[in-house]
Amino acid sequence: MDHPLLATHSDFSDPTALGIAELAPAIRSGALSPVALTEACLARIARYDNALRCFVTVTADRARLAAARAEAEIKAGHYRGPLHGIPYALKDIVDVAGVPTTAHSRLMPGTPAAADAHVTTLLEQAGAILLGKLGTFEFALGGPSWDLPWPPPLNPWNTDFLPGGSSSGSGAAVAARFVPMAIGTDTGGSVRWPAACCGIVGLKPTYGLLSRRGVQPNTFSIDHCGPMTRTVRDCALMLNVCAGHDPRDPGSADEAVPDYVAALTGDIAGLRIALVRNWYAGEATSEITDGVDRAAAILSRLGAIVEEVSLPDIGDYCDCKTLISTSELFTIHAADLRTRPEAFGEKLRQRVLGGVFIRAEEYLGALRWRNDLARGLQAWFGRYDALVTAGWLNTAEPADPNHVDFFRRGRNITMPFSLAGVPAISVPIGFGEHNLPLAMQIAAAPFAEATVLRVGDAYERVSEWTTRAPILHSGDSA
Amino acid sequence: MTEDEIVLLARQAGLNLPAEYLPELLDAYANVRRMIDRIPVGRPRGDEPAHIFVPGKFMPVGE
Repeated sequence: MDHPLLATHSDFSDPTALGIAELAPAIRSGALSPVALTEACLARIARYDNALRCFVTVTADRARLAAARAEAEIKAGHYRGPLHGIPYALKDIVDVAGVPTTAHSRLMPGTPAAADAHVTTLLEQAGAILLGKLGTFEFALGGPSWDLPWPPPLNPWNTDFLPGGSSSGSGAAVAARFVPMAIGTDTGGSVRWPAACCGIVGLKPTYGLLSRRGVQPNTFSIDHCGPMTRTVRDCALMLNVCAGHDPRDPGSADEAVPDYVAALTGDIAGLRIALVRNWYAGEATSEITDGVDRAAAILSRLGAIVEEVSLPDIGDYCDCKTLISTSELFTIHAADLRTRPEAFGEKLRQRVLGGVFIRAEEYLGALRWRNDLARGLQAWFGRYDALVTAGWLNTAEPADPNHVDFFRRGRNITMPFSLAGVPAISVPIGFGEHNLPLAMQIAAAPFAEATVLRVGDAYERVSEWTTRAPILHSGDSA
Repeated sequence: MTEDEIVLLARQAGLNLPAEYLPELLDAYANVRRMIDRIPVGRPRGDEPAHIFVPGKFMPVGE
């Protein structure tokens, strides 16, 4: 499709430096070959991923075949759309037919998946080129862990630090320019946390907007797939392909999917934005607090009506979400826990074990509590178009097995939007100590992805954070 | 709740772990118990939880 937001670009000496919005028109016009782009990405992965450990599996042969096919189709006049010929990678809990899904775990059999996940199918139908499967916390929960078959990915901005999680490899691979887009999953913040730590854009859509079929479950009632890209524009392009009803996912929503790119007008004048400052002020580091305050001031200068509001303590959302998750996780993993507890990584086992103590009355009590919290949060969307708060309460954590486990702290600023099922996007807002990225979240009413993208894009147009790239070092010298 | 009672609770739920996992089990109990104690109580009988069943979602779907 033609779109004014797809930029023209003429320097393709290093196509890995470009995002989807620059790559797509070049591929369509023939100025850039999908084969050359794919080879450039594979060469970058080969050179640098031994230091970053983003990929669990690189599907190079498959990628080369797909790239050649895309090039032939486009030359023959069969251009499929903006993702045609664009490389991507998947968090390794998402199935690809013929490729093992490891879930970063010894518990998985290592046999190839029988079929594509629905989101994989959509990306393949759009002509995107799969480069491989990316590291994650074990089953999107147990991590960061050093007792699994694969060590945790590292942060491209500073390899002494981690990329967040659980979509660790997805965040790090996009930030490292290994791929311009990746799929992550988000139950309590697992798209937005690594996006925040890696200085990229990550969207947790409305519950049910993207199918979860073919994705290893974490918590059935709170699991989301989400796009991870370098810019909000690229996120909208990816969402255009990945969103939509899947009748074979019981949680899938039968809602019309708009053109999300069309929402990126750059105009947020008059938009009512609530700044949820009590969730981060006094909790986050000062550089994050200052950064989010500055970002809110920019939104105000762009014409939005920004007002500070106070919402219930984050701990309420976190405890409610964790109770629901722990119950559902125990159901998913109980058979393995009973028969081979030693096969679990320590962190996954610790987080699943508690489910044995949660009675049905308590699980349903937590689900009643969820109603209260979701209703209370969504009520704000009667007065405001969007809520803005910090992306995460800290910058990336040290890559140290002995560092305190973030789950123990129980203060997760992404969880309120997870529990409420509303769309929330993490957008870079600067850099802090140790060259580590800072981020804000923008949330909106259910199925108002266009609003969060519109606000994020308006901010992105007047900032320069997404134009920066990390300086990588190969594993030989790292 | 004593350690033995916590172990018994887990066994009654079908989880009979080797002794090496006892510290993890006790820690998990304490963590979950703290959260359970925060669940609001005194609900009306008809207060629906955040789960529903939509029969049409489970009809056969063509490939």
